[in-house]
Amino acid sequence: MTVHRRTLLAGTVAFGGASFLPAIAQAKGQVVATTYPGTWEDAYRTIVLPMLKKKDNIDLELAPLFAMDQIGKARASRGAPPFDVFVLDPGPRIVGLEAGLFEKFDAKKLGNLAKLPAGFADDVGVHVSAQVVGIAYNPKKLPAPKGWGDLLKDPWVSRLGITGFQTTFGTSSLIELSKLFGGSLTNVDPALVELKKVLPKIAAVGLPAAMPGLFQQGQCDVMYTNTQTVATLKGKGVDVEFVKPESGAITFFTTMHIAKGTGELANAYKYLDMVISKDAQEALTKPPYNFLPVNKDVPLAADMPMKSLDEMATYVQHDWSKINPQRAAWIEKFNKEMAK
Amino acid sequence: MTSAAIGASLPGEQRRWFRLAEWQLALPLSLAFAGLFLAPLLLLVATSFFDDDKITQPGFASWLKFFGDPFSYKVILDTLLLGLKTVCATVVIGYPLALVYLDLPPRLQKVLLFIIVLPMLLSVVVRTFAWIVVLGREGVVNQTLQWLGVISEPLKLLQTELGLVISLTQIEMPLMLLPLISVMSRLDPNLRDASAALGASRWRTLFTVIVPLSMPGLIAGCLLVFASATTAFISQTVIGGVRLIYLPLLIWQQSLVVYHWPLAAVASLSLVVSVLSVIAALSWLGRRSSRHLHA
Repeated sequence: MTVHRRTLLAGTVAFGGASFLPAIAQAKGQVVATTYPGTWEDAYRTIVLPMLKKKDNIDLELAPLFAMDQIGKARASRGAPPFDVFVLDPGPRIVGLEAGLFEKFDAKKLGNLAKLPAGFADDVGVHVSAQVVGIAYNPKKLPAPKGWGDLLKDPWVSRLGITGFQTTFGTSSLIELSKLFGGSLTNVDPALVELKKVLPKIAAVGLPAAMPGLFQQGQCDVMYTNTQTVATLKGKGVDVEFVKPESGAITFFTTMHIAKGTGELANAYKYLDMVISKDAQEALTKPPYNFLPVNKDVPLAADMPMKSLDEMATYVQHDWSKINPQRAAWIEKFNKEMAK
Repeated sequence: MTSAAIGASLPGEQRRWFRLAEWQLALPLSLAFAGLFLAPLLLLVATSFFDDDKITQPGFASWLKFFGDPFSYKVILDTLLLGLKTVCATVVIGYPLALVYLDLPPRLQKVLLFIIVLPMLLSVVVRTFAWIVVLGREGVVNQTLQWLGVISEPLKLLQTELGLVISLTQIEMPLMLLPLISVMSRLDPNLRDASAALGASRWRTLFTVIVPLSMPGLIAGCLLVFASATTAFISQTVIGGVRLIYLPLLIWQQSLVVYHWPLAAVASLSLVVSVLSVIAALSWLGRRSSRHLHA
């Protein structure tokens, strides 16, 4: 039998083309959403994914990425977003807004809109959870620290793990530490000066993503982090407790946004509506996930550092429009001050 | 028989077709190379000649900022030194292992080869995190030394350059051993016997016969280990921590945290050029030793 080149080529093209068919067939009920690696990914995979499939027959594909990585990838893709929905903290949210990465948001398309407190949805996106940042420590190895200042004293400093300005929780914590030594929202130099004094004693200086692993392995026994990370570590049987610093824990809202140019607009709204629904928020609030809910019908978990969302007004909140312009310089300074 | 020799042995018409087919066969790879390597590299060069993070103002500011800062030179030097230290460690441990491989019977050679290749079957992330468990404060090394009474307080191995070089040595070892073993297996065993028969000691045979003949494999292994160790972002940051700053960390920060892509491009090109310079030097050494051998 003779196989002509043209026949072979046609066959190859037909075969290659056919491999796209299942993707086209599946595409009808699909949405790709980012999620933070760790607790968020676990929780959304376990709770939101099956709920969305059951209610709307939409396949949820989760892309675990930190907030800054999402912005980087979206900017790199230039108008063809690799995902349909962002999940962001306040800092990256502003960067995304300035870069025009979000679709104009029509909150009226959310069936559960009335269940959110006023101002929790706007023409950019929707609040989906609150986060609380404070100090995590190992109660079997150390006494409970009272505040940020204790981190630089014995016995905590020699077991301290720190991270820089790459993440919201790292930046917020260093700002609060700085305030204790005369710094401010836009001046973190005092924190870096004080950290440098005790640098030889500090147990670990790592990337944000590596910190839970370092804590779990006993490389450090105290660190600044958020309540979700503490919940994840506890779920793995690690001895860890969360402390609200005496100057106040830091809090911020996590928001979701629809990526500009998405081909799954309707499904993205359905996904967001599911995320803020009573059922999803209630399940996310329970251990081991311990999310702070935004749905008014869902009570806060008993072991949360606050009793109601209204209490968040008394917590420390930062204006990220003032922080963002400084971050590049802060990261550079952190590199130089901490480098061996 | 090489493809050129096969082509030459064919009649005229067929030879012309063969040459054409050879050229056509190379086309897909050439196009892929141009599209997936050269084009992004040119894009990287173009991006580096912008001053602002929005990539709107052309200029040299990013280059001036990067090379006007003494810290950048320190980072480049540290990155190259890390590569060289890893190369030295892999040679010191890998070369004797390759010699052992040569003297083993074929069945045991297969077992050793499997053990050598085994780490490559695991993700680099898994291998890196395994090293956290080994080198950590409560890791295997510290617990063993404490149990033996050698130390009372745990040693700091993680987040040190020593720990990083130890782990990179294991992680990169297959890249050293595979080319080395490939070349050494082809050495004529009669040469060793001849050297011994002429009265040379085992050491003299090693340094005057085996090492020079295995040089192409050794140089290839050094190139691969050096290139891989200097760009091993995950191992460098997870095991080394962020107090040990190497170029890949700077590139990551500028591209995915700060979003200053022109600066990230300058740092990337610095990494490419500095690593290629060392690789060129190693290749030159390899060619020189090869010429010396054939002379």
